[in-house]
Amino acid sequence: MIETLGYLAISWVDPSLLLLTALGTFAGIYVGAIPGLSVTMAVSILISFTFKWDVNEALALICGIFVGGVYGGGRTAILLNIPGAPSAIATAIDGYPLAKKGQAGEAIGLTTVMSVVGGLIGVCALAVAAPLIAEFAIKFTSREYMLLGVIGILLVGTLSGESFAKGAFAGALGVMIGMVGLDPMTAESRFTYGSINLMGGIPFVVAMIGFFGVAEALVQLEHVAKLPIKQSVARVTPAWSDVRRYFKLAIKSSGIGTLIGALPGTGGDIAALLAYDHAKRTTKDPEVPFGEGAKEGLIAPETANNSAVGGAFVPMLTLGIPGDAVTAIIIGALFIHGLKPGPLLLTDTPHLFWFIVGNLTLANLFLLVFGLTGIRIFTKIVECPRAILIPLIVVLSAVGAYAIQNNPVHISWALGFGVAGYLLKRYGFQVGPVILGVILGPMIDSNYRRAMIGAQQNVGQFLYDLISHPISLVLSLALLAMLISQLPVIKEMRQN
Amino acid sequence: METNHYLRPGEQAFAVALVLLSGLFFSEAYSISGFKGLTTGGVMPMLASGVMVVSSLAILAGTFSRLRSAETQTTIDYLFPLRVVLFASVVALYAVAIPYVGFILASGGFLFVAILGLWRKGPLWSLVISAVSMVAIYFLFRIVFQVVLPVGSLW
Repeated sequence: MIETLGYLAISWVDPSLLLLTALGTFAGIYVGAIPGLSVTMAVSILISFTFKWDVNEALALICGIFVGGVYGGGRTAILLNIPGAPSAIATAIDGYPLAKKGQAGEAIGLTTVMSVVGGLIGVCALAVAAPLIAEFAIKFTSREYMLLGVIGILLVGTLSGESFAKGAFAGALGVMIGMVGLDPMTAESRFTYGSINLMGGIPFVVAMIGFFGVAEALVQLEHVAKLPIKQSVARVTPAWSDVRRYFKLAIKSSGIGTLIGALPGTGGDIAALLAYDHAKRTTKDPEVPFGEGAKEGLIAPETANNSAVGGAFVPMLTLGIPGDAVTAIIIGALFIHGLKPGPLLLTDTPHLFWFIVGNLTLANLFLLVFGLTGIRIFTKIVECPRAILIPLIVVLSAVGAYAIQNNPVHISWALGFGVAGYLLKRYGFQVGPVILGVILGPMIDSNYRRAMIGAQQNVGQFLYDLISHPISLVLSLALLAMLISQLPVIKEMRQN
Repeated sequence: METNHYLRPGEQAFAVALVLLSGLFFSEAYSISGFKGLTTGGVMPMLASGVMVVSSLAILAGTFSRLRSAETQTTIDYLFPLRVVLFASVVALYAVAIPYVGFILASGGFLFVAILGLWRKGPLWSLVISAVSMVAIYFLFRIVFQVVLPVGSLW
C-alpha cells in the first residue's frame, strides 16, 4: 500500500516531472484548441523526440498533452464553432449558441470544472478496473490476443467511418504496412524488394506522422482562407449553483465516457456523442432547448470525453489493445521504451501503472488551473492563421519522421503516406484503422501463427479451439456479432 | 452500408483503383510463400490483402447504388485543386532538398515559399514568420530535445 502510494506520487514530488506534466497539459490545451492541430498528430510527432528520454518523463509529457488536448478541443468549439478535436463535435452544438449570447466565459468555466470531474472519475475507474482485468487477462492465450487484435481494428473501422467496408479496407491496409520487412519468425523478406531501408520494416511512427500530420495538413488547405470568428469573454469562474445543479449529469456522463473509452477502438468522440444523446433524451425540462445553448448539452459531452481518457488506458495497459488513436500511439511509445503493454505490465512493472494513474490525476488538476486562467491570451493564439500552421505541421512532421532513426528516407515515406492519407480522407475513409492495423498487424500475425502451430496446423482444430475455450468463445461470438451487425439487412432493420 | 448518400467526384474511379491496388497487393503477398503452409510468412499478408480485395469490391459495389451529386465539380477540382497541387509540389521539392542542403536551409526555404503562397501578406512578413519559426524549431528540437537534425551533403 505504501509502495503504491509512493509510485502514485512520483510525478507530484519530482520537480522535473511536475513541470513536464504542467507543460504537457498547457501545451495540450492549445494543441487541442487550434483547429488543424490534433492531439493525435501532436503526440505522434512528439513520440519520436521523447524516445531517448526516461520513460517517466516521456509519459508525463504525453499524459499531460492527452488530458489537455481532449479538453482544449471544446474551447474552440465554444468560441469559434470549430471543434478543435473530433471529441468536441457535440460541444459546438450548444457551446457556440451560448457564446453568441455573450456567455462564452461562463460556458468555458463550467466545461472546465465538469471536464476535471469527468477526468478524475475516469482515472478512478482506471485505478480500480485495470488490476482486476489484468488478473483475468493473464489467462489469455495467443488465440485470444489474435481475436482481440482483429476486434480492435474492426471496432475502429465500424464506429468511426462512413461504412464497414471502408473501415475494414483501412485496417487491412494498415496490417499490410505493418507486414513490410523481414518476418520476425522466419526472416523471410516481405515486400522489401531488395531495399535495405525496407528490411527493417516501416516504423509505425513514420506511418502515423504521414497519415495524421501530413494528410491533415493537405486536407486543411481547403479551409486556409477561412477567417477566425472573434468572441468576447467575460467571467470564467462558474456559478456554484450551476456546478451543483449539473453535478448529477456530470457523474452519469462520466460513467458513459469511461465505459465507452474502455472499449477497444472507441474513444472520446464516440463517448461525447453518446453522452450528448443521453443527456438530450433524459433531460426533461432544459432551461434552454438543446441546440440553442442548453448547458446540459455542453456538460455531457465535455465530461464524457475527459472521462474517456482514463477509460482508454484500461484496455491499453491490461490487454495491450489501444482504447483510441492516442493510446495506440502511447502503446508504441511504451514499446520504444522496452515495455510490453499487457496483463504482465501490472505485475512486472506496477510502478509504471501507478505512475500513469498519479500523473493523469495531476494533469487533471493542472487542467483546472490552466482552464480557468489565461482565456484572453488563449483567444488571440487560437486565431493563428492556417496559412502559417499548415507549413509548420509539414516541417514538424519532417523532423519527427527523421528523428525516430535519423534516416532521411523516412521523411519521404511520411510525406508519401500523407498523400495516401489525403486521398483516403477525401473519399470518406478514416485513417485511425490504418494506424491500428500497422500497430496490431504484427501482433495478430505472430499470435495467429502460434495458435495455428498449437492446433498442429489443422484448420478444423484451429476453428474448434476458437469455440471450445470459454474466453475464445466469448471473443469469437463478439467478433461474429460485430460482423453480423454490419450486414445491410440488419442495418436496415435497425434503421426501421 | 454507406452513410453518405451522394457520390463524390471521381469516387467510382477511386474505388476501381482500390480494387486494382488490392489485387496487386494480393499477388505480391502470394509471391512471398504461396500456399505452402498455414504458418508461413506470407499467410497474414495474403489474409490482409484478401480482406482488401473483398472490401474494395464491396466499396465499388456500393458506389453503384448511390446518387450522383448535383454539384458539377470535376474530379480534378475536387481531389487536386491548384492549391493542393502547388503545395504538394513544394513539399516534394522540400523532401528532395533536405538531403542536399540540410534541414535548416530546406525548411526555412520551404516555410518562406509556402507561407508566401498561402498567406499572401508579402515577402517581408513571410520572411519574418519563417525566420522566427526556424529559430523556435531549432531551439526546441536541437537545444531542448537534443534531436539530431538532417545535414546536407552539399554543405
